Amino acid sequence: MSTVAFTPTPLNPSFNSHKFVRTKPNRFSLQSKAIVTSDPFVLELAETLEDSLPSSTAPLQKLREASSESLLSTPWPSRRDEPFRFTDLSFLRYSNILPVSQHPPTTTLPAADSTSFLSLNIADGHPVTPLSNSSQLPQGVYVGTLSALASTPIIDRVMELMCAFDAGDLFWSINGVGAPDATVVYVPEGCRVETPIYLRYLAVEGGAEGSKTMRMSNPRVVVVVEKGAEVGIIEEFSAAEEGNDCYWTNSALEAVVGEGAKLTHSYIQNQSSSSAHIKWTSIRQESSSTYELTEISTGGKLGRHNLHIQQLGPDTVTELSTLHLSVGDQTQDLHSSLVLDHPRGYSRQLHKCIVAHSKGQAVFDGNIKVNRYAQQTDAGQLTRSLLLEPRASINVKPNLQIVADDVKCSHGAAISDLEESQLLYFRARGIDPKSARRVLIFAFGGEVIEKLPYPSIRERVRSQIKSLLDPSPK
Amino acid sequence: MGLLSLTFHPSPAFNPSIFTLPPHRCHRPSSLAVRATSAAGTPQPLLQVNDLRAKILESGVEILHGVNLTVNEGEVHAIMGKNGSGKSTFAKVLVGHPDYEVTGGSVVFKGENLLEMEPEERSLAGLFMSFQSPVEIPGVSNDEFLVMAYNARRRKLGLPELGPLECFSYLMEKLQLVNMKPDFLNRNVNEGFSGGERKRNEILQLAVLGADLAILDEIDSGLDVDALRDVANAVNRIRAPKNSLMMITHYRRILDLLNPTHVHVMDKGKIARTGDISIVETIETEGYETVAALT
Ligand SMILES: Nc1ncnc2c1ncn2[C@@H]1O[C@H](COP(=O)(O)OP(=O)(O)OP(=O)(O)O)[C@@H](O)[C@H]1O
Ligand SMILES: [Mg+2]
Repeated sequence: MSTVAFTPTPLNPSFNSHKFVRTKPNRFSLQSKAIVTSDPFVLELAETLEDSLPSSTAPLQKLREASSESLLSTPWPSRRDEPFRFTDLSFLRYSNILPVSQHPPTTTLPAADSTSFLSLNIADGHPVTPLSNSSQLPQGVYVGTLSALASTPIIDRVMELMCAFDAGDLFWSINGVGAPDATVVYVPEGCRVETPIYLRYLAVEGGAEGSKTMRMSNPRVVVVVEKGAEVGIIEEFSAAEEGNDCYWTNSALEAVVGEGAKLTHSYIQNQSSSSAHIKWTSIRQESSSTYELTEISTGGKLGRHNLHIQQLGPDTVTELSTLHLSVGDQTQDLHSSLVLDHPRGYSRQLHKCIVAHSKGQAVFDGNIKVNRYAQQTDAGQLTRSLLLEPRASINVKPNLQIVADDVKCSHGAAISDLEESQLLYFRARGIDPKSARRVLIFAFGGEVIEKLPYPSIRERVRSQIKSLLDPSPK
Repeated sequence: MGLLSLTFHPSPAFNPSIFTLPPHRCHRPSSLAVRATSAAGTPQPLLQVNDLRAKILESGVEILHGVNLTVNEGEVHAIMGKNGSGKSTFAKVLVGHPDYEVTGGSVVFKGENLLEMEPEERSLAGLFMSFQSPVEIPGVSNDEFLVMAYNARRRKLGLPELGPLECFSYLMEKLQLVNMKPDFLNRNVNEGFSGGERKRNEILQLAVLGADLAILDEIDSGLDVDALRDVANAVNRIRAPKNSLMMITHYRRILDLLNPTHVHVMDKGKIARTGDISIVETIETEGYETVAALT
């Protein structure tokens, strides 16, 4: 996969007058890099973002600097770049992108719908404390903003993690520049957090439907699960209210799962149908740790998830399940990469998508690398797609690269319409084909929905998907 | 509950052995002068198949080359014949399987042109077929499936639909009838079912939905002795006197349990011979070749 791109865009003549560049500490080297690849659109975007933020938020400064630097050499991706070959970003590129307001929005946000979670609203990228039910937090656990974090060792731990990941792309860097603060979830060694932490990302500001203006927010979350600890995290993305539908959420989450620790991650993307949603998830797994992800993405005009998992020690368990649904003129895209460098890793990836609209699209690029020292790895990858409309499109690229020789790997890919024999079975029992199709399509997605670990969320997702698949139930 | 007593009833009153059939041999089954019940007067035809021809849609290969068969109310028919002779194809064409295209002939079911009906309409009209190899439906539980099918039937009868809970006791009753454990309701349709469990599940569906004509395609294959007895008992109990059966089988055992009034031998896409249970004897001693050639 090539990330090098030639951008024929001419150098911005007013380049040197950019405040964005002036703030850079290492001006000369940056300039010489910039001469090769800097992209005026990206520079302008970065500048606007930078202008929108208060100048000094100490703990994030390092991240901002590093991100600014990489932005200078990263052009806006085009269809010629492999990671965006099938994903068209032009509607974003030609929108008028404005940062969300500096301050956390003051609108009354919908209250958390359950007492069974520790829930935290993140509005337009700003963590809105306090956390609900915080009395249920075990000793030593921190869930809150990075700026309000008092413990120096935890700050150091978070900072160490925040600057460790170097496989991100332009959007990762944009998030690094534009994140107003970070939400930190810290679980100390040996601690088991019984109540799942529910991060509700709400898009508050946005242009009206059909407008060319997109409001952009950059939520950032850092999760540290120390040795032997255990926590469940739910991320859910949606619009705070109808009417402000044109926005761009450019989100990033990074986590380290310590030795023998477990992170259970549920991710529900339910953004408005005119929005753009780009998300990075970067996970580092130490030895004997477990990471389980269940993703259900149904919203957005563009939904892109970049998932990167790096194994840091042997005997890790990784389970990834994704359901993508395109019921309108929309793209759902998962680019995942799992790198196994140590022995006896176990991984399972299930990707399922349903494209039920002639302008709908799904993209899956799933890379699993089993490197030289990853002996006795057991890796499985399966992707299945339902293509329900004639002009709908699906591009899948499941990809297992195996260098080690003593491994057990399996993979499979299938794209199909519903099984005729299954449809007939319903009809032969007197059930009309429309109802039969509805049940069969839902059942296809059900395999992933069932993996959501919390019954209340599972039920909600179920009924939401039902109504998306059949907007007018009988 | 007996909500659908129109189409079946769970009482064991019906005893198919009251039919006795004189040894009879003829080419056109429609000319069989069989009396379903001596008291009922002239038997009413339920299914009339005339010179039915059908081909495989994909390949265009003709499989049925002119099938003739009449089933009257209350009759029990058996169709036997070599592997690949077209028995399942015949059954599937009758229920409207999309793999086949009818190229000639006619089928009248309860006085209506069956071939013009969609598969679901045929089912709602009272035609049931148990599949020789029922398909697995991952992600759809057996009870959800049964409730949907049962409600489709109720809608057809102008009855209000029932919620899953309201259906529960009705389903439990039917489950007992076929001697299945309740946890089969929570499992996905046929998923991971053993061969015998799938067959039982087909009969469960028949018990829940009822049928004027039930076509059982090798319902006995792969069943152990006890399961076969359970299935046969269930079939006998859910069948009302006017309901008819058409079973496809290779074995004598189920014939002894369900007492067919007519036995047909299919050969190369046609009914080659029709008679009573006595031709089974000939088949077993002399093989299909001889029996089919005796036409
Ligand atoms: N959908 C199909 N596609 C291809 N060939 C088919 C199809 N359906 C039937 N056939 C062929 O038609 C012939 C009749 O098949 P059918 O299943 O009706 O036989 P059968 O009498 O039921 O046999 P058995 O006793 O083995 O069940 C066989 O040669 C079979 O391979
Ligand atoms: Mg057969």
